[in-house]
Amino acid sequence: MKPKLHGILTLIIAFVVQIGFAQQQTVTGTVTDENGLPLPGVNIIIKGTSTGVQTDFDGYYLIEPSQGDILVFSFIGYSRTEIPVANQNTIDVTLNTDASVLDEVLVVGYGTSSRRTLTDNIASISADEINEVPVPSLQSALVGKAAGVQITQVNGKVESGIKIRVRGVSTISSSQDPLYVIDGIPLINSDENINDSPINPLISLNPNDIASIEILKDASSAAIYGARGSNGVVLITTKRGKSGATKISLNTSYGWSEETNRRDFLNTEEYVELFTEAYLNAGFTQEDAFADFNSFAENEVDWREGSVDTDWQDFAFVDGSVSDLNLNASGGSEKTQFFLSLGYNNTVGIIRGNDLERYNFRSNVDHQVSEKFKLGVTSSIAKTQINRLANDNSFATPLQSIAQIPFTRPYLDNGLPNPNTLYYNFLNQEVNAENKTSIWRLNANVFAEYQIIPSLSFRSELGYDLNVQTAETFDGRLTESQSVGGFAETQSVQNEKYVINNYFTYYTLLGENTNLEATAGMSFEDDKRKAQFVQGQGFPSDDLRTVNSAAEIVGGGSSRTAFTFISYFARTNLTILDKYLLKGSIRYDGSSRFGVDEQYGFFPAFSGGWIVSEEDFLMDSETFSLLKLRASWGVTGNADIGNFASRSLFGGASYNGRPALNPSQLGDSSLKWENTIQYDIGVDFGLLKNRISGSFDYYNKTTNDLLLNEPIPSTSGFTNITRNVGEIQNTGLELVIDTKNIVSDDLKWSSSFNIAYNDNEVTNLPGGDIISAQNIVQEGEVLGSLFMVEFAGADPENGDALFVRNTLNDDGSRDRSLTNNFNEATRVVLGSPFPDIIAGFTNNLYYKNVDFSFTFQGQWGSSIYNTGGRFQSASADYFDNQSSDQLDRWQEPGDITDVPEARLFGANGTQSSSRYLQESDFIRLRNITLGYSLPSSFTKKINIDRLRIYFTAINLLTFTDYDGFDPESTYDVDANSNINVGNAFYSAPPAKTMTVGVNFEF
Amino acid sequence: MKSIKTYNLVIILLAFTFTGCDDNLDLEPEQSLTPEAALGSANNIRNLLVGTYDLAGQNEIFAGSYNLASELIANTEELAWRGTYQGPAEFNRKEITTGNGFVADYWITSYAVSNQVNLILENLEKFEEEEEAARVQGEAKFLRAAVYFDLLRFFALPYKAEGGNSQMGVPIVTMGVSDASQIVFPPRNTVEEGYDFVIQDLKDAIANLPESNPIASFYANKFAAKALLARVYFQQGNYPRALEASNFVIENSPFSLTEDFAGAFNNDGDSTEDIFAWQITTQDGLNDMNEYWATREFGGRSLTGDVTIEAPYFEVFNDEEDDRSSFFYEGNGTLSTTKWQNQFAIIPFLRLAEMHLIRAESNFRLDSSLGAAPVDDINTLRERAGAPILSSVTLIEILEERKRELAFEGFALHDAKRLKQSIDGLAFDANSLVLPIPQREMDANTNLEQNPGYTN
Repeated sequence: MKPKLHGILTLIIAFVVQIGFAQQQTVTGTVTDENGLPLPGVNIIIKGTSTGVQTDFDGYYLIEPSQGDILVFSFIGYSRTEIPVANQNTIDVTLNTDASVLDEVLVVGYGTSSRRTLTDNIASISADEINEVPVPSLQSALVGKAAGVQITQVNGKVESGIKIRVRGVSTISSSQDPLYVIDGIPLINSDENINDSPINPLISLNPNDIASIEILKDASSAAIYGARGSNGVVLITTKRGKSGATKISLNTSYGWSEETNRRDFLNTEEYVELFTEAYLNAGFTQEDAFADFNSFAENEVDWREGSVDTDWQDFAFVDGSVSDLNLNASGGSEKTQFFLSLGYNNTVGIIRGNDLERYNFRSNVDHQVSEKFKLGVTSSIAKTQINRLANDNSFATPLQSIAQIPFTRPYLDNGLPNPNTLYYNFLNQEVNAENKTSIWRLNANVFAEYQIIPSLSFRSELGYDLNVQTAETFDGRLTESQSVGGFAETQSVQNEKYVINNYFTYYTLLGENTNLEATAGMSFEDDKRKAQFVQGQGFPSDDLRTVNSAAEIVGGGSSRTAFTFISYFARTNLTILDKYLLKGSIRYDGSSRFGVDEQYGFFPAFSGGWIVSEEDFLMDSETFSLLKLRASWGVTGNADIGNFASRSLFGGASYNGRPALNPSQLGDSSLKWENTIQYDIGVDFGLLKNRISGSFDYYNKTTNDLLLNEPIPSTSGFTNITRNVGEIQNTGLELVIDTKNIVSDDLKWSSSFNIAYNDNEVTNLPGGDIISAQNIVQEGEVLGSLFMVEFAGADPENGDALFVRNTLNDDGSRDRSLTNNFNEATRVVLGSPFPDIIAGFTNNLYYKNVDFSFTFQGQWGSSIYNTGGRFQSASADYFDNQSSDQLDRWQEPGDITDVPEARLFGANGTQSSSRYLQESDFIRLRNITLGYSLPSSFTKKINIDRLRIYFTAINLLTFTDYDGFDPESTYDVDANSNINVGNAFYSAPPAKTMTVGVNFEF
Repeated sequence: MKSIKTYNLVIILLAFTFTGCDDNLDLEPEQSLTPEAALGSANNIRNLLVGTYDLAGQNEIFAGSYNLASELIANTEELAWRGTYQGPAEFNRKEITTGNGFVADYWITSYAVSNQVNLILENLEKFEEEEEAARVQGEAKFLRAAVYFDLLRFFALPYKAEGGNSQMGVPIVTMGVSDASQIVFPPRNTVEEGYDFVIQDLKDAIANLPESNPIASFYANKFAAKALLARVYFQQGNYPRALEASNFVIENSPFSLTEDFAGAFNNDGDSTEDIFAWQITTQDGLNDMNEYWATREFGGRSLTGDVTIEAPYFEVFNDEEDDRSSFFYEGNGTLSTTKWQNQFAIIPFLRLAEMHLIRAESNFRLDSSLGAAPVDDINTLRERAGAPILSSVTLIEILEERKRELAFEGFALHDAKRLKQSIDGLAFDANSLVLPIPQREMDANTNLEQNPGYTN
């Protein structure tokens, strides 16, 4: 018996061991292309695992699979090839070009997916499209590259906020920003400005470190992020090293910037003419006018003879520049790979006194401890220093100087700014004020991945994001703080977030034809923010600028706040017969932010796809190289509102130095998530061997339980309360077409065109209209529609400003008669701040060693209301310099014009009306690049692999009928408002930059 | 064995993965209190009372903005508005729109004060000592009366002395709101109801307040309530009651006129003449009187003041020696009033000089001399201002003395309405001299009816 038992045990052990330890062998080989040339950098992965290697310069690789494993060879531009491992030790592979984007591997939440089997709608933008665009913020590099993603700059300040809107806006009170995730860790995305002018929270990231960006646009892709996915998710993946020889790359560039556009304002002669007329029309005499001109001017000749004729824009705008330097090194052995980078960027803005300097360092390391155990770290640190300007609503902001009178000088003879200007002379800020912000951003995450069994692996990530920002301002005795002898303020904010992600990934084959991939895990996020500030006034000297020197401390404070999320998620993908695709996911999210009664939410999603071109009837089609139908449905949430919005709160205050309490917020304990239900139906196609490929989607996004600051009667002591009311809907179409126009040895030309149409409508608003300044949230209209009295030009008989009554008649029609009494006219919706259609068009050409590419972007259907128009184009109502179009004013009966008669203090048409509303459609040549790479035969002699010289221009040409500064210059104080969109107020236009640069690769 | 180790490992990892961290979701705000805490103790009710002073003393109402409405709407030529803000420009042109931001702030801030007072009054039982509860009640009602009085004076047609004031007033709210379930949509009460409410609040305040406030002298006391009541009766044209109240304050209170006219203004703390003033420090409170009436050199917004004093104002003076005729300073060729020169000075709300003027005019109209003959009251003020004394006064002289003494302090519009004087061709009860209910309020509460003359 004993020997038998022993034998059986041995067999069992052998059997188990057989399962536990698969037979390993060493496989080597060379990968070449169709011409026999070796291909370096080809990815070879053991299918169903994350074990992989890369070919070296000679196309040579070494890998240790087990018998029965399948090796997957993939490389962008070539068709994916799978080869099973039997007993052979050498596998040589020839890859065929298949410049189809369909073999792309995309990053999705908590994993990757191949474009081929994807059933979601994800836009992917690669490193070449992002790198070498010399703008300080990474979002700017994405403009025009993804269908349905609208990216706009708030205005021309270098640190200005950038808004990304994915498939329309689907919330009124919560944040409209997508969730930004870097290497799996959600990023802090808070604007910590202290002067109401926003700072782009992602300005610290170095665009050159980015390997790819995926934008998860539909619910099925974003639902894995549950409560944060409603506005889409932007996944940023930074570069990692690959095994092989170390590559060093150096990129340096320098550029010149100026404003995209200026406006025309009156010169001295025109000003005197218009205002003299305005005085007379108002019942004053010419002597009155001349006396006042004399009081504004230093000498009479200044205005009489035009000896002083200042265009204040010459002083508000300056020549800007951009210097950018990037050095990175990547490489590694089979076990350890690294990517290191150093970056420097110095951008001088086009507005006087605004510039930014940024230093970046990154170190990403991956290490294969053993076959099953992989570790890695991703870390970066950045320091950014910005010289900032006052917000748009401040006399100290340079653009407000367009209001100054043209016959006043900017500087006196002694070189100091002229103190006797109509408004505070902003040039004093340069001499006597400062506004500096320093930002330190640290991102680090470590991960460990363990392959429990070949089909099951576990990954744990611990991430940390630290955003420290210190702002220091000083305004001396020549500035608006003169009455207090100088004023200084310092604020510091420390915001840290740590994230723990733990999840399992499981691959298996069910039967012969079905691939199953599943992911399940949890995520915990803890965000803490601390802020301190102090203010002082009364400085002995303008050279002492820190609060230490202030005679009196007049303000100070400190605060702490935090929020947490705990989430559980699971996802399953099924691929059947390589042509039927099914996917389902679910996420369960809880947060400290929501009312005690409603703290958790469920976010499911399903999607399916059918690769029709794999079916027999299409397999051999000459036309269709790919035809895939897909559909998705899912629920996502939006949880981005204040940390304690559901609570009624009382806060500390004081009166004459005595402590006090005041009610600060009225709350509702049943406050819960906003829910967005989105479905998407799409077709991916490839024609003529993928010479033409693309996709077409229809989507429908309905958001209900909108978190709204519902206005309540202020007789209750509060003006609003946050509630879940209302519903908003976005429906739209997206089309992407990629074409390879010419593919020959010497000349390659490809184009990519995307266009998207979005229809936004507030479908249910139980509390009734929400009106804020000139924007309205109204059922049946676009969110934030521009709502005001309709202007009707000047009365030909007397030059009065005319308005359309638009009052409602009994039968529902509008009374279109005109009146000169503003109070008789009623407000109507006259425009939308959001475009209906956005489009992008990119072309890439390669001819021998020359590369040429350009991208156009366009937007149609939006309008902008110029709140400053009431001062700038006011029929000479007040002494502000007027825009040149005011010279078309009405002067005598019979004149037909849109500009009412000039009347000093007459308020002739200066009320908020569509006089100051304009359509802002535009097409812009967003970037254009011309590069030349020196022949490699030459560069190899000096040990350089590649040397490329290039010229790039950003915002080179803009085509628009909008006659404000620029369609992308809006009021910065409103930038974080969801409702007050589409307003301009002395806002600066963006910069037009021309850069030359050199890339070296060693 | 490998596979057992594997399964153990898997179980450990699963446990690690799916451990809930539920209690991490219970976070409390660190800079705020919940209603239970805020309304739950006597100490916090005291804090709320101080907070009510803070709110009432905001620049949006009593610390400068209300003043602009009164002075500019009543203005024909005595003042010039040189500032860039559209709101006050509308006041000056008497073409006020429903979207006027200053008007909206008057309403919002006043009702915030009213709500806070309501919360305090609902929680007086938290006080252990009756005396303290009574005093707190008195202070709270004083503040509530102050805001409702001005709401009525600005947002409704003038009070008719002959009675029958059924014209629309403002909503009277007496229930505090500290929870979403308590929100209501009140319609407007009549002007009669409004004044009754204000007068009742002040009577309660007078009954409950001590003569001097034991916590700090700048908080409300019996005389402050009495002085405000005098002003209310005076506005109603109820001269007998106004006389009695103003006389009470002059005769019984410890307040006395400052030695010279300048001494009544630009003070860091209450002067001998201040019955009640809004406290401003460099760290606390914004003095919008200064913001709009002073030149940039002294804290204002522009080289000239936003509001400058023009030649026609000075016609009211007939004596060069009157200090009040030279209480001005120059700014880029224009004149600004020295009353609001100090950026961090307190803002007098009720000062003794006004009581003298009320007593004088009431005595004159009733042909009496309670406390002092009208000419004596006038002369007291004139002497203090260095002006020669008069031997006798007419009503015109008394009204002019009001303009000399109380100019730029926010009395202009209310005086014109009481005296039924027309302004710039508009009758005293014209619709355009009444502020519109703010558009945001009309949009939020459909039970409100807008004032006549305002449509959009």
